[in-house]
Amino acid sequence: MVDFSWAPRSPLEKALVAGVHGARRIEADVSLTEIRNFDLVQLMARRGKGTDLAKAAKARFGVVPPDAPKVVQTPDATLIWSGPDQFFVLSKGGKHTVRTLAPALSGPASLSDQSHARVLISISGAKARTMLAKLSSIDLHPDAFPVGAAAATSMDHTSVTLWRGNDRTNGQAVFNVLVFATFAESLWHTMLDSGAEYGVAISHSENLA
Amino acid sequence: MRIVCPFCGERELGEFTYLGDTKPVRPEAGASEDEVFDYVYLRDNVAGDTSEYWYHGGGCRAWLKVTRNTLTHEISSIEPAAGAGAAKVDA
Ligand SMILES: [Zn+2]
Repeated sequence: MVDFSWAPRSPLEKALVAGVHGARRIEADVSLTEIRNFDLVQLMARRGKGTDLAKAAKARFGVVPPDAPKVVQTPDATLIWSGPDQFFVLSKGGKHTVRTLAPALSGPASLSDQSHARVLISISGAKARTMLAKLSSIDLHPDAFPVGAAAATSMDHTSVTLWRGNDRTNGQAVFNVLVFATFAESLWHTMLDSGAEYGVAISHSENLA
Repeated sequence: MRIVCPFCGERELGEFTYLGDTKPVRPEAGASEDEVFDYVYLRDNVAGDTSEYWYHGGGCRAWLKVTRNTLTHEISSIEPAAGAGAAKVDA
């Protein structure tokens, strides 16, 4: 009998090489950080149960889930709009998994575990917007896309969930992208190409931005 | 061309897929061959406003009902198709 061990591995394990890519500057103007080992559950209201899901989620998370393209932050989770009557729950450490959420939410919603089905890339730096503008048709100007704004959109012909997290302590904006695992390497290379002229600082992290 | 998704806002055409005319209604079981032929193959080739289904597959994945002028591409109304969004299931 062969023993199998299932070690989680990032879909970007090969593509991501920590360090600096492209233009060498005193400081790279784009930083790309892959966030690893997160819990991600997608909730979709059952037919006619949109309002019931909002109520049940309010009871579970203490906040009303987003009903428009934006994110809602709780002390230990981010609720991200992903379409009408549906949203993601992004968290760390096993607090909000299908198993823990199902008892309260599986009545009005269907839950599906997306933890290993998506890659989470966090983008910041002085040229983050300029670099993203080559890939996205979303207006990322601070007036049009403030902290907490989200979009279900496409980048480089690939469906992504994009949202703006809290600014860094130096005031720079942070853009988060969830992309299907199997498309992640392709989008990653496109992002590197897009950012190369500004210099890209590449890293991975275990912490949600 | 851009389409204003009622859920997402204004987006480029590349995020959408065209399905076709919203008018044809599937005939009842036992309908005549002519009625089925009409439903499957025959379309009005309207020069002016038409009602069409578009799918926001590169975005929120909702189906939309779009009124578009085939002469000018001007879009005069966009609404969620029935079933787009569980809360609006009867829309
Ligand atoms: Zn949409």
